[in-house]
This record gives sequence, structure tokens and C-alpha cells, in this order.
Amino acid sequence: MLPYLSTLSAILPIVFFLAFYKRNKKGELWVIFTYTITSFATDLSYKRLVHNLNVPPLYIYTFFSLLEYSLFALFLYKSYKQRSFKNILLLLSLIFYAVALVNLFHNNSDSQSFDSPSASLESILIIVYCIFFLFEQVKDPNIFYIYYIKKFWVVLALLIYFASTLFLFLYAATFEKPELSTYWKINYIFDIIKNLLFVVSFTMKDNKQAYSADTLYNDI
Amino acid sequence: MILLEVTSPGSSVSLVLFFGTIGMLALTIGLIVFIIFHQRKVIRYQLRLQRMEQDQQKLLLNASIRLQEEERQRIAADLHDDAGPLLATARLYLNENLVNLDKTTQLQSIYNAKQIIDDTIQLIRNISHSLMPPTLKNFGLESAVNDLFQKISGSGSMNASSRFHDYRERLQSENELIIFRIIQELVNNILKHSNASFIHLTQNTSGNKFFIRLHHDGRGITQNDFNKLNKSNVGLGLKNIQSRLKVLHGKIFFEKDMSQTYYKVTIELVKEEDDKLQEQE
Repeated sequence: MLPYLSTLSAILPIVFFLAFYKRNKKGELWVIFTYTITSFATDLSYKRLVHNLNVPPLYIYTFFSLLEYSLFALFLYKSYKQRSFKNILLLLSLIFYAVALVNLFHNNSDSQSFDSPSASLESILIIVYCIFFLFEQVKDPNIFYIYYIKKFWVVLALLIYFASTLFLFLYAATFEKPELSTYWKINYIFDIIKNLLFVVSFTMKDNKQAYSADTLYNDI
Repeated sequence: MILLEVTSPGSSVSLVLFFGTIGMLALTIGLIVFIIFHQRKVIRYQLRLQRMEQDQQKLLLNASIRLQEEERQRIAADLHDDAGPLLATARLYLNENLVNLDKTTQLQSIYNAKQIIDDTIQLIRNISHSLMPPTLKNFGLESAVNDLFQKISGSGSMNASSRFHDYRERLQSENELIIFRIIQELVNNILKHSNASFIHLTQNTSGNKFFIRLHHDGRGITQNDFNKLNKSNVGLGLKNIQSRLKVLHGKIFFEKDMSQTYYKVTIELVKEEDDKLQEQE
């Protein structure tokens, strides 16, 4: 049940992005839209690729991790205002790609099905980037209410998803298949939460209150 | 289900996974809650600052309006109490000419009327000079200050002297007037409250900064006193100084001399501001 719900939940952000296209066409939300499409497509084609075409799961996971990391990193890179954060992101991305490729070519694709090192590193890096983003927003004196910003909800979704699945990804390689399928529920649950938070971001208006002091008294 | 798996004996990895996930989730939620509350705290602080600034502006505006009203009342009183009766008397003398046909009496009354009109002219000139000193307009701040200090010294109550070290280029006339008014206000305060035996004013520049320093040996105020008076409802003159300085983007410092003998007031202005204003005009 949960795997189906998780896969289907990826449709929601796609539908809401298109439904509220006018609100979402500006900014970097199209990167998240691309991600949701990719994620949905990977979920749908996973079984076919593994069972019919005999593609090793490690390759699919690594490919998806690289794509997922690249899209989230691009979203955060475009969201940063400070040059130093952008440079750190670029530098850490090089390390991530190196780790992911080394993991892909040095590990046995038959014995190992999940790319634990690169997925864990991805989680850690995206959490760090999200903290950078929040730090930058808090420091910005023009932003009064962070939760009125569309990007905040995307970052919240990423933070919650990657923080919750970090330990799962770290230990995923050590679990046996039945054990892994039990714990993989964590991934499904937080994937659904992540998609719902994307929907919040796509449906809300980019509220002017976030940047103005005019209505400052109303909320306090 | 996950909880059951975790609590089963011999599953240390599961325990780490379970508590690690819960811990990370708690940390994330904690971080977000902290950010939102921190932001609200910052907003509250900004609001408080804004309100304080508005209150201060209000006080300065009130002080400026009250001063304007006082000045108008003084001019009205001068005109009504001095110029009015003088002109009425002159009119009486001239009226007498129509009634009294005796030539000597007529000449006497015309002479008296002329004397009174001369006095009235002098009176109006004094009022006009108090509004805008002609020396300031024609010869600049240095001459106007020297003139003011000479008058104070001439009265014999106090020894007043001034020295301008670097005033070859005059400031804009509006700014000169504002600075002159500030000096007048400070000197008035010293005369009224300090019991000083001397005032010494010096002017100099350093880079793009323009300084005016006033020393006196009487009772004075320090920066803390000035700040307190500025926030209270008293100290109308000081608020007036503050609002005038705001126009010039200037600063004022009240302090006691190192030797604890003299009080020092320093007015600091940025010369570039003056140039920029001129360029804008």
C-alpha cells in the first residue's frame, strides 16, 4: 500500500504545479517540478528496468541519486544570494560526484543493490545546503515572514525528507532484503510528506507580506 | 511495526536507525521552530526600535512646532507692544497738526512724530535682525559668530571668543543659518544655566569632516544627560538642536574635559553632504 501511495503522491506536485502555473513560472520551482517528474518516472520504470531489462538496481539508484542531487543542488544554488555559499556548493558537489562514481565502479553491482555511501552523502550535503539557505533568509532584513516564501516549503520538504532518511540510507547496505523492506517504509512515509510539502509550495501565492513591514503588526 | 522490529532483542543497528531517524527529525523540526521564533523576536525588536524612533521624531517635531510658535508669539508681542504704541503716538502727533494751527506747536509735533517713526524703524530693524542676522547673510558664519561673541563680551557678563581655523570656503547659506542657530541655542543655554565666566569656540576641519567645539567653565551637561533630556518632555532647546542637526546629518557630543574643569560641546558635520546638496540643487 505504502509504495503505491508514495509513487502516486509524486503526481500531486506535478498536477498542482501545472494547475497553478502562473504562480510557479517565476523562480526556481521548475527545477523541483522536473525532479517530481523524474522521480515519478523512475518509480514507474524501476521494476521494468530491473526485471525485464536486467539493469542492476545499484546503477538505477546511483543514477537517480546523481540526478536527484543535481536538481536539488541546482535549486539551492539558484536560490542563494551569497557568492560564498554558491562556491561551497560547487566544491562539495565535485566531492559528491567523485564519491558517487567511485562507489558505482568499485562496488559489485550483483552483491550490492543500494548505493548507501552516495545516498548518505547526498542527504548530508542537501541538509547542509538547506541550513545555508535558511541562514541566508534569516539574515536578510527584508524578509519578515519566512513561511510566506514558496521556496521555504521546498527547503522544509528537503530538510524533513533527508533528515529522516539519512540513517536509513546509511544502514541500507547492511540490511537483508526483508529487513530493508520493513525499514524502507520510513522512506515511503517521508517521500509522501515531501511531496505534500511541495504541493504547499506550488499552491501558495508568493506573499508580499514576506518582504514588507506594512502588515507587520497583524501577525504578532 | 518498525517499533516492534527495533525493540526486538539483538537489533542494535535497528535501534541506531530508529533513534537516529527520530533524533534527526526532532533536530530538523527544532531548527525550523527556532528560526520562526527567532525571526519573530527580531521583528518585535525592529518594531520596538521603529516605535522608539517614531516617538523621538514626534518629540522633535513637537519641540520644533513649539519653538516656532514661541518665536511667532515673541514677534507678535514685539510688534503689538512696541511698534503698535509707537505708531499710534506718531499718529496722535500728526493728528494734532490738523487741530492745532500754531506753527511752532505744529513743528514740535512733526519733530516728535519723526523721532517716534525713527524709533519704530530701529525696532523693526532689530526684529528683522533677530530673525536673520545680516552679518550671517552677507559675510558668513565666521563673521556672524564673531559678531555674536563680541556682543556677549561687550555686555561684560562673560568673556566670549571664537577662532575659525579653516573656513576659507563658506558652507551653503541654509546650512550656515542652521549651524548659527545651533550655536545661538548652545550659547543661550550656557548664558542661562551654566554660570560660566568664559566661552571659547573653535572651528576646524579634518578630512571631509567639519568640527565646531565650544568650551566653557560653568556647569554643563554630558552626553548621557543630553540623551535623557532628548527622550523626556523637557529640554525644548536641546530637541531643537537635535532636529536641526538631523537636517544636516550631523552629530553632537557633550562631554567633560579630561581635566574635569571645562565642559566641551562638539558639533560634527560631514562636508561632502553639503557639497552633494549643492550639486543636487
